Amino acid sequence: MLKVAGWSIMIPGILFFVFLFAMMPVLLQASPIDGTLQLSWEQGFQSLKDYFAGLGNGDSFQFYSGKNERSFWEWIGSYFVTSFYYVAAAGVAGTAIGLFVGIYFSLSEARITRSIVDFVGSLPDFVIVLIMQFAVVLVAREFDVVLFEVATLNSEEPAIALPLIAMIIIPANYMIRGVAMQMRLTLKEDYIGNAKARGLGKLYIVFYHALPNVLPFVKGDLHKLMGIIMGNLFIVEYLFNNNGVSMLIFTNAFVEQSGIYQYNIVVNGLLSFLALYLAGYAVIRAFLFLLGRVFLR
Amino acid sequence: MKMKVKMNKTLIAGLILAAFMVLIALIGPFIAPHELNHQVKIEYVVGQDGDGYVVAPPVAPGSKEYPLGTDKNGYDLLTKLLHGAKYTIFLSIGIAVARVAVGGLIGLLLGFYVKPQREGKEGTGKASFWSVLNGIPIFLIVWLMMIGITINPAASPFAMSMILAVVLLVVGVPSVASTVKEKTLIIRERQFVTASRSLGAGGWRIIGSHLIPHLKESFLILIVQEIILVLTLFGQLALFNVFVGGTTMYFDPPEYHSRTSEWAGLIGHNRMSFYANEWIFYVPLAAYALLIIGFALVSKGLEQRYNKMFSKFSHF
Repeated sequence: MLKVAGWSIMIPGILFFVFLFAMMPVLLQASPIDGTLQLSWEQGFQSLKDYFAGLGNGDSFQFYSGKNERSFWEWIGSYFVTSFYYVAAAGVAGTAIGLFVGIYFSLSEARITRSIVDFVGSLPDFVIVLIMQFAVVLVAREFDVVLFEVATLNSEEPAIALPLIAMIIIPANYMIRGVAMQMRLTLKEDYIGNAKARGLGKLYIVFYHALPNVLPFVKGDLHKLMGIIMGNLFIVEYLFNNNGVSMLIFTNAFVEQSGIYQYNIVVNGLLSFLALYLAGYAVIRAFLFLLGRVFLR
Repeated sequence: MKMKVKMNKTLIAGLILAAFMVLIALIGPFIAPHELNHQVKIEYVVGQDGDGYVVAPPVAPGSKEYPLGTDKNGYDLLTKLLHGAKYTIFLSIGIAVARVAVGGLIGLLLGFYVKPQREGKEGTGKASFWSVLNGIPIFLIVWLMMIGITINPAASPFAMSMILAVVLLVVGVPSVASTVKEKTLIIRERQFVTASRSLGAGGWRIIGSHLIPHLKESFLILIVQEIILVLTLFGQLALFNVFVGGTTMYFDPPEYHSRTSEWAGLIGHNRMSFYANEWIFYVPLAAYALLIIGFALVSKGLEQRYNKMFSKFSHF
């Protein structure tokens, strides 16, 4: 019962924020003369009203892309699947790499690799993506080998490998550092010393005594990890020009040429984005559950 | 002892790099080789031996006049970087300090006065509410707030920077506040706080003479980390054409220019140049990355300095 009550507060709350955030471009206006800020609540509420009125007759799910009127439902399917594919891959591969490399880092010195990971981790996501694109162009110029597609220019040659690598590297990096730190703390605990004194093997202790105590930390940190993945998704889809949910929001928020703001597509896009978040979260939780099955006794 | 010397290396390297960047931001406009509106035009130059060559923008880096080259419109990149540095650096530091000051105060008060929540359904419900909202990236929220006012604004670049600063302050305060709250909750359970309270100290007295002194290292690290986060946000926003100080948009073909030559703005404006004339792409990116690396080193150095003091040793 309590859970139901929690959800019944949570969903309206989230909807409120989504409607409010999407309203921002019409709500916040600068006066064209002296540039002072104005809040035009009337226009904001008008777009909200239009949205709800449009829910009934389906207008809220029609949007303009260039000069063509399109249906949200027709497009969201493939966009959502594309984004989900990246989010799920980033989540699972990122967590897996993070766990195992993190354990390795906590056990060995690995100075150089560790400082490389730290260095990459200190750079913002988009810098890493831009450097990767640039590196591919440089390699192509010097050696005449195109390693990866740098961006999706037409639908026949989508960029897949490079965006995928970019999507995985960043959460994996975050996970590696988190797990390594937590693992090092765990290995200082007395029960590890006790297990060692009993003559158990190093790997056995790490995987069956220490890891089960690190997994809860990973679970607790999942929302933060998902936050990183979702932010990263925006950057990656935009820089590689891949058709996912975030590109649906960005390319259609303002109608080309006329520059009219489409409130409905932003709201729908944000809601699909949150659905994507929950789906990705569920995938990682399932993955951790399976992992726990293997290592928890 | 050997460890200690090594620890300081990170910190010192970071401090030198960060100080160098701040110095550039201070004196940049005075040492810039050209005026901001100096532009290379296409011209035919005849050398001393009679050979002629064409100078046309973009000029490649390495020449004496234009050490970092010029952009497509013939503006000197070094000059642009030197003029834009003050926006990038001082604004990010200012926003970070303000975030930690406001968020820190809120966090201290929340951590000290609010009763600790029992581990129960209510707490988890609240936590998951915020964490689901966490699924909407902060820069998207800022983008939505700024995109309506940032294109060809009537306000001055300084005023536009201040608006962005306020927006970034508001979206950044909650995370700082919750971090500080967590730390406060731990310290307020310590015995010296109980002792102080039983001796009759009031709330502000305890915050002032026990909590803040214990948290001042955390605050310092938090400021440096917030600088990095703000710089990251500058960069992410710039990719989507929201520049610090406003965006000048030209039509036919649509082009977005930074009004302040702020570094992230230069990256956003030139990010498609990696196919040809690649220096236009990598010069601002390198300057920006160097700035972030500097602050990251400071943050890491500080953490090492404060954290390793009483650590136990790993069994392996």
